[in-house]
Amino acid sequence: MTHFLPFLVTAMNRHSTFMCRNRFSLSPVALVLTVCGSLLFVSGCGKTPAASFRPNMVEAAKQRLKPEQEEQVATILEAMFGTPDNPIAMPETGLDIGKLRLAAGPVHSDIVGRKNGLFREHCSHCHGVTGDGMGPTAAFLNPYPRDYRPGWFKFKSTERADKPTHGDLVTILNNGIYGTSMPSFELLGEAKVDALVEYVKYLSMRGEAELNMMRYFFELDDEDEGKLPETRDFLVEEILLPVAERWQEAEDAVIEVPEMPEVDLAESIAMGKELFYGNKANCVKCHGVTALGDGQANDYDDWNKVVKQWSDEVQSSHEVSTKEMSREEKAEHREYLARADKALAGDALEPRTIQPRNLRQAIYRGGRRPIDFYYRIHAGINGAPMPAAAGTLTPDEIWHVVNYIRSLPYEFDGELGADRSMVARDRL
Amino acid sequence: MRNLCLSRENCLPRRVGLTLGVSSRPGLQWSVANCLLCTMLLCMTLLCTMTGCGQSRLPAPTPDSEAAIALRASLASDSAGGAGGSEVVSTGTGWGTLTGRFVFVGSPPAAKQLIVDKDTAVCTAEGRKLFDQSLQVDEATGGLANVVVFARKVSRVKEREMPEEPLVFDQKVCEFLTPVFAARVGQPIDVRNSDPIGHNTNVSGTSFNQLIPAGEGTLFTPARETGMPTMVTCNIHPWMKAYAVFREDGYVAVTAADGSFTIPDLPAGEEVELQVWHERSTGPNGALAADMPELGWSSKGRFTVTLEADGTTDIGEVQIPASAVGS
Repeated sequence: MTHFLPFLVTAMNRHSTFMCRNRFSLSPVALVLTVCGSLLFVSGCGKTPAASFRPNMVEAAKQRLKPEQEEQVATILEAMFGTPDNPIAMPETGLDIGKLRLAAGPVHSDIVGRKNGLFREHCSHCHGVTGDGMGPTAAFLNPYPRDYRPGWFKFKSTERADKPTHGDLVTILNNGIYGTSMPSFELLGEAKVDALVEYVKYLSMRGEAELNMMRYFFELDDEDEGKLPETRDFLVEEILLPVAERWQEAEDAVIEVPEMPEVDLAESIAMGKELFYGNKANCVKCHGVTALGDGQANDYDDWNKVVKQWSDEVQSSHEVSTKEMSREEKAEHREYLARADKALAGDALEPRTIQPRNLRQAIYRGGRRPIDFYYRIHAGINGAPMPAAAGTLTPDEIWHVVNYIRSLPYEFDGELGADRSMVARDRL
Repeated sequence: MRNLCLSRENCLPRRVGLTLGVSSRPGLQWSVANCLLCTMLLCMTLLCTMTGCGQSRLPAPTPDSEAAIALRASLASDSAGGAGGSEVVSTGTGWGTLTGRFVFVGSPPAAKQLIVDKDTAVCTAEGRKLFDQSLQVDEATGGLANVVVFARKVSRVKEREMPEEPLVFDQKVCEFLTPVFAARVGQPIDVRNSDPIGHNTNVSGTSFNQLIPAGEGTLFTPARETGMPTMVTCNIHPWMKAYAVFREDGYVAVTAADGSFTIPDLPAGEEVELQVWHERSTGPNGALAADMPELGWSSKGRFTVTLEADGTTDIGEVQIPASAVGS
């Protein structure tokens, strides 16, 4: 802000001179300006405090946590995971502290000249220091950057509800995600990408542990007096391990992909097309009769849905009549709504609907290899509305749909869609 | 502001300039005072703009770093014992049945009409309209349907066979036929689609989000408890919504159209704590509030009863005021 001052002084001098027709002494203005200037300094816009993890205030407000409960969660998290500058890896997490140190902290070179602080250098402006997908640029991006805290990841080789493997995340960092703002980080080299993936897992585990703890307050018995038990049995066995183990199990949850059936490609594509438009696979309902992704415009992905549903709930709570409430109930109700409004405005991004993929652009976020398509159709996309086809379609049928989808960007114009032909404009 | 300076009448009286002690030369005070005023106004505006450097976010709690270090040390050693959540110790014998009825007090708000913009040939054929089903009050008796009641923690569980017949969860004309349903963990559920169009059924919080082809069904076996009921949706038709609750011990009931519920085979002769939920409840996580101090009804929607063995204990009518459910 200080760089405004010289401009301010000049502008005001000119202005004042004009207005007061030279019968003007500079000293009082200078005095006032000095006072104001020093006030600006004191107000301290420019101070940079040490980086800290931002608590999940949306969940805290939703669970109606009291300040001392929020503080307890923050303290437990610091005990188990450390701070952004000084991460901790409890052995139960299976995380490699060496890799975490490389990724954590401010950007700096360590004693052997190796660069540290990779996450803050490359990731935090979008994904946020906390990994909440609320970095400074987040609001300007579409789609929003991923919020790691719920522990859902879309593009992976594992079954729907399972965590991605280490390799899945490495692939995403190396390739970037086409059609989004996520670039490739392949040039960083294997070791740094590896460290960043480890740090993403760390942030995700931390975020999920935080969510579990905040939700657990509701489960407490009355005699616990609103305090989580700070015992190993609870914090490690019940909160941390269920999350950490699922990350460790991911390597065993990889989807088995059978060979592509030996059918003539044109035939396979024709069968895939039938499934695409048919009542069994039903792809057409969301991806549209033209496959331009225009079949479903008013659904949300799980990240946005959480915000959307709660904000609707808060909205309807605003309309509840408080007439019959006692004075304390009224105060409590008002306090909850005030906190809810603030959390939604300051700690959540405006919910956006999700677009089903336009399959004619040949832009595939989760990768363009046939096996990537197979994973997406077999397991659906975790966190997105896309359902799983495994169990409904046979593996051969999934392969037919894969082949049809791969042919879509190159399909002859005149044959497109079920009931309307594609015109050049639609491609835009 | 220019006007201010151009006419003497509008300006501050001399005294201001004098009091401020800025200048003692006559004829100058008014303009100095005026310029001072202008400057101050400008500065104030600037300051006001700048106080908003940060958004007005909720204040974040500060972790207690010393306590964190101590806790870290105690977590690293196995010595810190004590299980999280107290176990319930059995003090009674026999089994009893719990029953009761939920009644809505006052006139329920009119159900909102749902926006159906897809597959209208099936979903809204012949001018049919779909309505929000979240608040169903029986006209004759005032009974509140679809309230979930389940035992929070029990000291012992009566052995009952897992029903082999799958529980049917059906969808027809773009509506779930059971808006709220309960099942035991491990009990197979036949997710059916009786429509001539395809649906998908997405049970949040589980791994299940499956395509259900027209006229077919898929088996789903819940593997974990849900805690409070979890939402079931169809992503193809986003207005479709239902809730499911899965309990390990099976001590769960959903109120019928007349608001009544029955949970058999609960441990008798000791206190059993029950949790009550309703989709539209304004309480935390859907916990339903009721004014029943004799049952120890808490703001978390929980109450406690002691059942008599081999008998039925009736908690009577539970009155739910309109303020307990959102509009």
